[in-house]
Amino acid sequence: MAVASVTQRGYGGLAEEPDQLYVETRELRIQGFLLFMVSDLVLFSSFIFAYLYLRNSGQGWPAGGPKLDIALAAVNSIVLFGSGATMHFALENWKHGSFSKFANWIVMTIILGAGFLSGQVLEYIHIGARWSSGIFGASFYTLTGMHGLHVFAGIIYLTVLLLQAAQGKYTFTKYTGLTLGTLYWHFVDVIWVVLFSIFYLL
Amino acid sequence: MAAAAIHAGGGLADHIHPEPQGFVRKYVFSIDHKIIGIQYMITAFLFMILGGMLAELIRVQLMKASGGLMTPETYNEVYSVHGSTMVWLVIIPLLTGGFGNLIFPVQIGARDVAFPWLNMLSFWLFPPAGLMLYASFLMGAPTAGWTEYPPMSLQGGAGTSMWAAAIFLIGVSSTMTGINFLVTILKMRAPGMTFTRMPLFVWGQFVTAPLLMIATTALGAALAALFVQRQFGVAFFDPTRGGSPLLWQHMFWFYSHPAVYIMILPAFGMISEILPTFSRKPIFGYKMIAFSSCAIAILGFMVWAHHMFTSGLAPALQLPFMVLTMLIAIPTGVKIFSWVTTLWGGVIHMTTSMMFAIGFLATFTLGGITGVFLAAVPFDLHAHGTYFIVAHLHYVLVGGSLMGILAGLFYWYPKMSGRLMNETLGKWAFWLFFIGFNGTFLPMHWLGMWGQPRRVAMYDPQFQAWNQVASYFSFVMTAALILVLVNALWSMRNGKRSGPNPWNARTLEWQIPSPMPYYNFKHVPSVFAAPYDFAEPLPYRGLEEELDGAPPPVPAAH
Repeated sequence: MAVASVTQRGYGGLAEEPDQLYVETRELRIQGFLLFMVSDLVLFSSFIFAYLYLRNSGQGWPAGGPKLDIALAAVNSIVLFGSGATMHFALENWKHGSFSKFANWIVMTIILGAGFLSGQVLEYIHIGARWSSGIFGASFYTLTGMHGLHVFAGIIYLTVLLLQAAQGKYTFTKYTGLTLGTLYWHFVDVIWVVLFSIFYLL
Repeated sequence: MAAAAIHAGGGLADHIHPEPQGFVRKYVFSIDHKIIGIQYMITAFLFMILGGMLAELIRVQLMKASGGLMTPETYNEVYSVHGSTMVWLVIIPLLTGGFGNLIFPVQIGARDVAFPWLNMLSFWLFPPAGLMLYASFLMGAPTAGWTEYPPMSLQGGAGTSMWAAAIFLIGVSSTMTGINFLVTILKMRAPGMTFTRMPLFVWGQFVTAPLLMIATTALGAALAALFVQRQFGVAFFDPTRGGSPLLWQHMFWFYSHPAVYIMILPAFGMISEILPTFSRKPIFGYKMIAFSSCAIAILGFMVWAHHMFTSGLAPALQLPFMVLTMLIAIPTGVKIFSWVTTLWGGVIHMTTSMMFAIGFLATFTLGGITGVFLAAVPFDLHAHGTYFIVAHLHYVLVGGSLMGILAGLFYWYPKMSGRLMNETLGKWAFWLFFIGFNGTFLPMHWLGMWGQPRRVAMYDPQFQAWNQVASYFSFVMTAALILVLVNALWSMRNGKRSGPNPWNARTLEWQIPSPMPYYNFKHVPSVFAAPYDFAEPLPYRGLEEELDGAPPPVPAAH
């Protein structure tokens, strides 16, 4: 595949490839985006480290915080994971050349993402603690809040992608932007798997 | 068109945007990596003047044991902002954003970095962040040193929050630079530019980029936590509500120890370019120098707690951190020996740049050796709170990074301006700097061993004589730096014209005109070998038309 040879070659050559500039720029963008996600992952990891450090600082857990409601969070998680699946279908349908199916699935993704956020707001109300109340508030609200912001940003991101696709910015062979959006959405999903495990299951 | 046939066209290789017209697009909001590099350098040197003034305030204050120039409170603000400035606004931007941007894309045969717009954004976050840091003086600047340990950093004026926000911005800028550089080096090397043919300065940037990307993000998390703790009372670091001041130290040093290598690895790269050029001899141990940089970067992530031996680290953790820290001396020693062996038997040309590079070898080695002292837990317990630390860190940061930067400035100045810096002034500056630097920081070693505590505005009168020595020599060092600055400004108009390759060097940036044209290369060259074999012809093909003054190829439609 052309992509692999581009990786090894650096650049130059490949004169027979008509859209070589696109292929090479696509490589750069995907790699840059992956590295952005790595650094974003480090951001989460730092706060996860902080949480585990504080949690194990010997005061028992939840120190001054409430017990978390695992049922609500589990339902919410299923909603988010479902949105990952719908996003996958959206991109697959784009690859197969169907704008209408793509649009349906991505709208579904956005709705599920919004559903997840509403669930999180419900949970915040249900818990009733404050950000400034002790190390529980500090770690729980910071981490889930950061994740919530990422979901929120993702919803806006996907909406923009949908509008761009509707305006014809992407073709069925050139859709790097859509690939990146999908990557981002899956990334946010994966972060939630970790957060769910360390807050609700640990 | 012969060359175009060799480098069968299309794609990024022949994709030249036309040069932007108009002052703003060309020099202010430029997306050209060379202009951005120069912007970084000018901004960083301006901040260096500010940080240097703070340093002199410190030295004037310490001329008398009873202080007298400033209140202790002001003194705390001054040294905190001095440290923050020099680390985040001077050394890191100069080495990565400055020299990195200017030189390494050309050295790999690229026309620009992978994301030029992101590069511009990186730069334009930097001056506002610096101004924010200095604005903190208006609202009670940070007082807990550049490391801002809680609980002290939780008290005091809004300046500390401002500090956190400013450094966070710098961090975002660094992260974007790191991503940009890494993608550029991974994807945009000229045909034939394999990893083992890359110039060692590129290796320096290649190893630094992931550190910028990963470590700086971790720092961002720590700063964000400090900010919300101060502004919204979120209990990360407050021990009265379950938080832990030690957590800050872990989060901070997990960044800041790799940051130490961000501040030195590119300088290693510069030295590895300058020494062979002026010894007229291939670099000794090319692969060892490249791989030892990787080893340093990896080990750098595993040693952060050696800054915390006196903060109450579990004894079971002290030993591994001590051993890992000492291990770093091995790759560093490999480099030092390789450089010395490069000089051995070479035809040494004592240009100013070379003098700074050899000065680097001497002072950095001293700083590195005291680093091994401090890695040993028992010695660290004794010396940690004293001037010995100040001596050590200035030997590696001033004697190492800054010397490297000055060597690089004299070396690459022609590539920015088309003119050479004045050698006579430069040699004066070198000797003044070398004497001034050692006179300032060498006495701090024994001042520290005798027990003078660092970061205190007054001290025991028995230390006064040596403190005065340090202060007087610091004026000499400042004079030397002013001389370099004057030299750089004067040479911009009046320096000798350099031509494309005044040093007869072999890396790619010297094979194109000085100053470098907007598009770098008319035709992206092919590379056949590493650039250090001075006996051989140049290992590049496709550069034939670079220097004949013909117009660049027609810009590709986009």
